[in-house]
Amino acid sequence: MSPPPTIAQQLAAKQREISVAEFFERNRQILGFDNPSRALLTTVKEALDNAVDIGEEARILPDVLVEITKEGEDRLRVAVTDNGPGILRKEIPNVFARLLYGSRFHSNRQARGQQGIGISAAVLYANLTTARPAHIVSKVEEDEAAHVLDLFIDTQKNQPRVASEDLVLWDRPHGTRVELVIKARYQRGRQSPYEYLRGTAIVNPHARLVLVEPDGTRVTFERAAQELPALAQETLPHPYGLELGELGHLLKSTKRPTLGEFLAKDLAGVSPRAVKEVLERSALGARSDPGAVQGEAQERLLGALHQVPLVAPSADCLSPIGPLLIKRGLRNVLGDLRPDFFAPPVSRPPKVHAGFPFLVEVGLVYGGGLPADQPVQILRFANRVPLLFQQGACAITNAISNLDWRRYGLDQKGGSGLPVGPAVLLVHVASTKIPFTSEAKEAIAEDPEIDKELTLALQAAARHLRTHISRQSRRAFASEKFAIIQRILPKLAEKTSHLLDKPVPDLTPVITRIMDVVNVDTSVAATPASVGVGVEVTNYTPRARVLELFVEIPPNEFALATFDPAPDGTEAGLGRAWWTLPKLGPNARAKLALTFPPKTDLEANDLDWYVAGIDEAHVLGADPLPGDWDVRLPRTIIEAAESAAAEEAAATAEPEVDYDAAESSASPSDDE
Amino acid sequence: MPPSRARARATTSDEADAPKVRADALTPTVGLAQQIYDQLDHGEIPRMRLPLRTKQNLAFQSREGVWRLGKAMGTRSARKLDGALMLLRTFYLVDFINEMARDRKTSTLRELYYISEAWEDAKFHSEDESNLLIEDLEVMCARLREDFRLHPEENGASVIGDLTIKEKNRKGAVKRINCKDDVGDGGYSLPFNVEKEKIEFVGTNAKFVIAIECGGMVDRLAENNFDEDQNAILVHLKGQPARSTRRFLKRIAEELKLPIVVFTDGDPWSFRIYASVAYGAIKTAHLSSYLATPSAEFLGVTASDIENYELPSDKLSEQDVRALQAELTDPRFGTAEWRSEIELMLKNGKKAEQQSLAKYGLNYVTEHYLPEKLTEMGVL
Repeated sequence: MSPPPTIAQQLAAKQREISVAEFFERNRQILGFDNPSRALLTTVKEALDNAVDIGEEARILPDVLVEITKEGEDRLRVAVTDNGPGILRKEIPNVFARLLYGSRFHSNRQARGQQGIGISAAVLYANLTTARPAHIVSKVEEDEAAHVLDLFIDTQKNQPRVASEDLVLWDRPHGTRVELVIKARYQRGRQSPYEYLRGTAIVNPHARLVLVEPDGTRVTFERAAQELPALAQETLPHPYGLELGELGHLLKSTKRPTLGEFLAKDLAGVSPRAVKEVLERSALGARSDPGAVQGEAQERLLGALHQVPLVAPSADCLSPIGPLLIKRGLRNVLGDLRPDFFAPPVSRPPKVHAGFPFLVEVGLVYGGGLPADQPVQILRFANRVPLLFQQGACAITNAISNLDWRRYGLDQKGGSGLPVGPAVLLVHVASTKIPFTSEAKEAIAEDPEIDKELTLALQAAARHLRTHISRQSRRAFASEKFAIIQRILPKLAEKTSHLLDKPVPDLTPVITRIMDVVNVDTSVAATPASVGVGVEVTNYTPRARVLELFVEIPPNEFALATFDPAPDGTEAGLGRAWWTLPKLGPNARAKLALTFPPKTDLEANDLDWYVAGIDEAHVLGADPLPGDWDVRLPRTIIEAAESAAAEEAAATAEPEVDYDAAESSASPSDDE
Repeated sequence: MPPSRARARATTSDEADAPKVRADALTPTVGLAQQIYDQLDHGEIPRMRLPLRTKQNLAFQSREGVWRLGKAMGTRSARKLDGALMLLRTFYLVDFINEMARDRKTSTLRELYYISEAWEDAKFHSEDESNLLIEDLEVMCARLREDFRLHPEENGASVIGDLTIKEKNRKGAVKRINCKDDVGDGGYSLPFNVEKEKIEFVGTNAKFVIAIECGGMVDRLAENNFDEDQNAILVHLKGQPARSTRRFLKRIAEELKLPIVVFTDGDPWSFRIYASVAYGAIKTAHLSSYLATPSAEFLGVTASDIENYELPSDKLSEQDVRALQAELTDPRFGTAEWRSEIELMLKNGKKAEQQSLAKYGLNYVTEHYLPEKLTEMGVL
């Protein structure tokens, strides 16, 4: 007769390995499969992220097709085909049908995914919800044919099971196709596959993405950039971001013979001087065996590493999108809405949070077909991955809400909260480690360093917006004047002449009196052969003017420009050129042309125009020459400016009451 | 309470700015065109100078006892878009008037507003805009809108009482009408043209005219036989009185030498109704000599009536208070009597409708309130 089992024995009987299926069931939410529409988005996201990433690593411009078709009631087939390098036959089962299998988890550089759960979780979801295998086609360039595998995940052992296998001819040199049938629901709107592809296309203008929706709608996001982004460098781990377990792992696995060498060569930012100091503080010998540093000694070492001043982590491991590609991406995807203004994108220099390098980038689009009466649209990205959920809980959203946008020309109730106006804000945070609010990686957590950088970047973008809006109101003022001289005055002349039966008088003198400005009008025209900037300076003032015109161009583009006529002076390093224009009589016009090579990313906004020889109030389309331009002005220009100022002072003689603006106290009910 | 008891002497037929479509009605418009043409020809920015029609620019004309436009001028210039558009509209309007003259047509104000649909950039955005421009043209040309063949829709006041007139109707036939015996319960309805060539006064036995703001009160007085019992002519003002109503009252006052009393609600807007009848309205101050009846007296309801008669009242709204404050800076209400009346209403913070007198029964207004007030005023 055996004794009754002890409590420990009873408990031991209950303990067993948790299968991956159970793990999945319990963690559906953090893995992103908690409801049918979210499951679809996560599946698309995992497959698409992989496709874009692999292209980048293999230096191939990604071309990705995402097809979603209906497979019966509440079932969808998701097929994602890429033009990547393909996957070797022996790796296919592990890549797609084994959880926590991947190459990126241990590397210290910015990457989209990190945990090796992504695509295999989607495969598992397919296996569990529809009992259908993942259908994989992949071909590497060296092979004649593509491998076709149907895969299940053995949920007890977390091992791939190949259900069937074949070789087929595939009409592409290399690439991979993943097909999954999942329980899912297709929906449009803010959290849809369409939005995810759109976001991905904006920050990856080097990729061409095609989406086929269940109803057959085909959306193509064309490639807008031919250059691949620079591949982020892998860097050594920086002590500021290290935790005890990780340090132990590094100490155990290092091949360095001594602790001194380990500190100097396996960690980033530790100078020889710092090595000495760290060893002193932790009371450890430079020659001790790294593997032998354990327990309490390990804790002392980490403490010392966190106390001793070290060189900041390097930012080479980051992969910013860059101002040029942000602009191209936004233009490519939002161009249909014909926004008035693409602000020069802001790319902040890298900074460090908790030992991890990071940087913030901001793009801003304004006006045109964007809705003016709704909160601005926010496009959030973390390591170039669109964030579609949890907008309200995200540090990016908070930084936007905490800025007083009224100062920059957008509406905002009480100076905080989401601003209202026809604008789209793109915000990208890149880091080797993004502090997400949860494992679902849907929102960035608050961090003082990141918040500071977000605010600075947003302010810089907002200043561009303010400049644009004030220029726009100057233009509105000008367009009112143009309406008078072009549409109203000629008719007034025609009507009165007709009534009196007299010839229509020459209107030039009146036109120049009404306008009383020099107008600098610039236009950019791109042809396959060149990008041309045309400049017309028209003297809509009643007297002849001698003017000096200045332009400032980003120095990179300046170097490529040809000018007609040749400028009277240049300062190439600063991207500046200037001309003394021929004397312009009333209503007379001077023309200049600048030509750049084709495909220059140049917009009218990138060129700043300044004039001298006339006061500010009498110029449209250009600003007065700033004081820091150390340019010697010709004598005539100085005299012209002085006489204009004197004339201005004399002209402010007797103010007249504007009849149509005079406040009438006659209320509507005051008279019949 | 009215500031001026200076009753203008009745003048006969040829009053200075009396209307009649003149033979030379359109001559001044040629002058306007000439002015603009010359400016364009000399390279000057086209502009017109007009007297400002604001309350600050009202000037008392003591000889006639009315408030007319002062000397302050404003400029309408093509330098600004609004001004340029108004100048252009002026000549579209002149064109249209010439066209009507040629075709012997007239147009209502509302029709003109729709006519402007074809004027492209110059079209009117509201009827207020077109009415203002017509008044501008009246001022600039010293003519009446009727001279320009423009008239309002028929919405004239109704008249009840022993007054006999001769009206020449549309077909040219002359009808003799007694406003008590020859009309129904609605009374005699004034046409928009109440000039001599249209309406002639034959005779009356009435002792005075009572001009009333609301239709309900007109009906009450008629039902209670007030017109016959007190020998009164009832005139329904219909809120802010139309030009024809004001002109009609002026003619009765001057030609039949009858006293006019104005009976309105007791609120800031009613004060303005009285002011437009007696002193002239701001918007039509250029026509005050022709429209205003300085002898007209305000009967009530006054602020003190609300207290003395303990009338049911409403609290003054924010707009009411603003309107009263605006009246304190309106020169027409610049007399001590009006100031104390306005300040009393502000102090009490109350307004009342004329029909609130029904608190004491349907006959109270005709048996007590009006006889008392009229006796106090020396009319009865």
